[in-house]
Amino acid sequence: MAINRFTTMAYSEADEMVFGRAKKPVKAGLDLEIGAGYTTAEVNYAPRPEAGETKEKLVNEYQRITKDIMARMVQVGFPSVVLETEHVQQMTNHPEWGAAVAHAQKTIMEEYHEEYGIKCALRHTPGDVRETKEFLALRGDKMAVVMESFEQVAESGADLLSIESMGGKEVFDYAVLRNDVPGMLYAIGCLGTMDMDYLWQEIAKVAQQKGVTAAGDTDCAQANTAMFIAGGLLDKNLAHTLAIIARTLAAPRSLAAYEAGAIGPGKDCGYENIIVKAISGMPMSFEGKTSTCAHSDVMGNLIMQCCDLWSNESVEYHGEFGGTTVQCWSESLNYDCALMNTALKSGNEKILRDLLMASDRFRDPQSYILAYDNAYKVGQAIVKDGNDIYLRAKNAATECCNILNTSTGLEMTKFELGALAKATAELEALTAESETFMSDCMAKYKAEVPVFKPENYAL
Amino acid sequence: MLIVDKEGILIRYNVKMEKSMTPEEAAAELYPKDELYRAIAEAIFEGEEDDVIEGLEAAIAAGKEPIALIDDALMVGMKVVTDLYDQGIIFLPNVMMSADAMLEGIEFCKAESGASPETKGKIVVHVAEGDVHDIGKSIVAALLRAAGYEVVDLGRDCPVDEVIEAVKKEKPMMLTGTALMTTTMYAFKEVNDRLVEGGLSLPFACGGGAVNQDFVSTYSLGVYGEEAADAPKMADAILKGATIADLRAKFHNH
Repeated sequence: MAINRFTTMAYSEADEMVFGRAKKPVKAGLDLEIGAGYTTAEVNYAPRPEAGETKEKLVNEYQRITKDIMARMVQVGFPSVVLETEHVQQMTNHPEWGAAVAHAQKTIMEEYHEEYGIKCALRHTPGDVRETKEFLALRGDKMAVVMESFEQVAESGADLLSIESMGGKEVFDYAVLRNDVPGMLYAIGCLGTMDMDYLWQEIAKVAQQKGVTAAGDTDCAQANTAMFIAGGLLDKNLAHTLAIIARTLAAPRSLAAYEAGAIGPGKDCGYENIIVKAISGMPMSFEGKTSTCAHSDVMGNLIMQCCDLWSNESVEYHGEFGGTTVQCWSESLNYDCALMNTALKSGNEKILRDLLMASDRFRDPQSYILAYDNAYKVGQAIVKDGNDIYLRAKNAATECCNILNTSTGLEMTKFELGALAKATAELEALTAESETFMSDCMAKYKAEVPVFKPENYAL
Repeated sequence: MLIVDKEGILIRYNVKMEKSMTPEEAAAELYPKDELYRAIAEAIFEGEEDDVIEGLEAAIAAGKEPIALIDDALMVGMKVVTDLYDQGIIFLPNVMMSADAMLEGIEFCKAESGASPETKGKIVVHVAEGDVHDIGKSIVAALLRAAGYEVVDLGRDCPVDEVIEAVKKEKPMMLTGTALMTTTMYAFKEVNDRLVEGGLSLPFACGGGAVNQDFVSTYSLGVYGEEAADAPKMADAILKGATIADLRAKFHNH
């Protein structure tokens, strides 16, 4: 597959973007269409730890999970659902395990579809196991294992293929703990994108061969690491202004999947997906207030503003008062979707979108930038130099700083402002030449980060 | 587009509660009085490795013992940093950069003196078998070193056998384990059982990602750490005689 960079915006203005509608809807699975005028819940889950002991136990666990979700969907009268299975490592390292799980899940979903007509699709997300104990090993034998996993799950019932890829993480982990914005840019914007180009061309090829959908990636390994380290308002581990710079850097990086053949829906934990949707016009999955079972964030309502799939990130399978966890969370997600779909049907979608956005807009620098109007501006900065992976990432971070520096209504602490001022100055001082930046960073991080192996990026 | 004033909708408690003192002002109150030590402590606070070495060279030229400078200047500078971090005045990356500078300074002092300094104690750290997410472990290791502990880092995806062997060999005062995923954290239980079977009893501090207090409480040596910054606090408590039960009483907050 060829790489086709985005150099224009899919939407002519930010206000055109709403939940449930994408410029390029995606048909997938059993009569489901994503981004075609309605939102759908995407339910995520993790097996109980002891279920991973054998293939049989694992398959049984996922059968229970799938039946529970599908049963609750019809009990409460929801018209559509997506199930996402993020692989535990055994399922990717032994591709036949993942295949057996996909087959078992899809069989149940087909039964429900046949009996009740519920529209549904199955996303499988193999783990990015391209690493050894010490180093990332993005190319070679481990890549072959990942691709074998994709092939087998695609053959066995998965409709949507995704991954949370790790390219650039070895440099990012070093840079983020040292307030090193140029290092974060190199890790996410350059190394991350280069690995995405390589990986997603192969995934798109598998999807095409097997007749399924190459859906999308997320910068979980880096931007979410920054978001989690940044934590809540009172945490002192990373300035939230730096966390949102990492997030904006992640947008051109996650965009690379769609430049290499993916068509959406993007992965739920990619909070950068709002920027990616503005640029690509492809449907995106998001998570927020209904992913508190997995982690906290500071934009639980806002991030729902333009979702096409609405997810809970992940919840361990076990019992609660209201049923099993997957039943409880799938029901919550679907009630949110019912509200959004009511707004769409009644022509009130922009009002609801704006209420969601306004309720969190000033909660944090992260929510301020990811508000759809500001996210759109970051998108414009990216496509301005869309063909240059360094410049477009630099533009994204610079625009993020500009918006924060000229913000109105957003209060920031001295720490956040100090980190922002330092980042702004560092970005301004960066070269305009990609080659210079790449070679300078290569020398610097090869010397400073022992686990950085340039051959992972064909450098 | 709808913009609504945030009054009554949300409160930026971090802005509301922010200390008026800048980090530099707060640090200035804590630096040692001796000019030679102060320059080193300031360089540690700034995370400037070259300035740390320069300060150490000046102190040695003035007759200070290189190995004594570790406790008298480097650790004092680092304590300024960790105290301000504990008080919420500076952020984690400052601690990481200061720790880098301090470790470089310690290596310099060791090379100058040809001797090794005494540490507060030895701690073995690892990431659970099957888990390659190691940023949490790196933070724990840096904070422990910053607090004056010797850290034996077994790395990520560490087999249970390797953990047991390291505990037998190194005889640490504490073992730490971090994991991101529920599926890998079960290795902690196995580590615990093997330690107990082997008659080895030491606090096994566990945390990270999906690890929670309920899970860690199910094995006898386990102590749950909610934050990386809990690790040096646990080690300090052990030095003061805290047992596993004491640690649980102090750090199990849920």
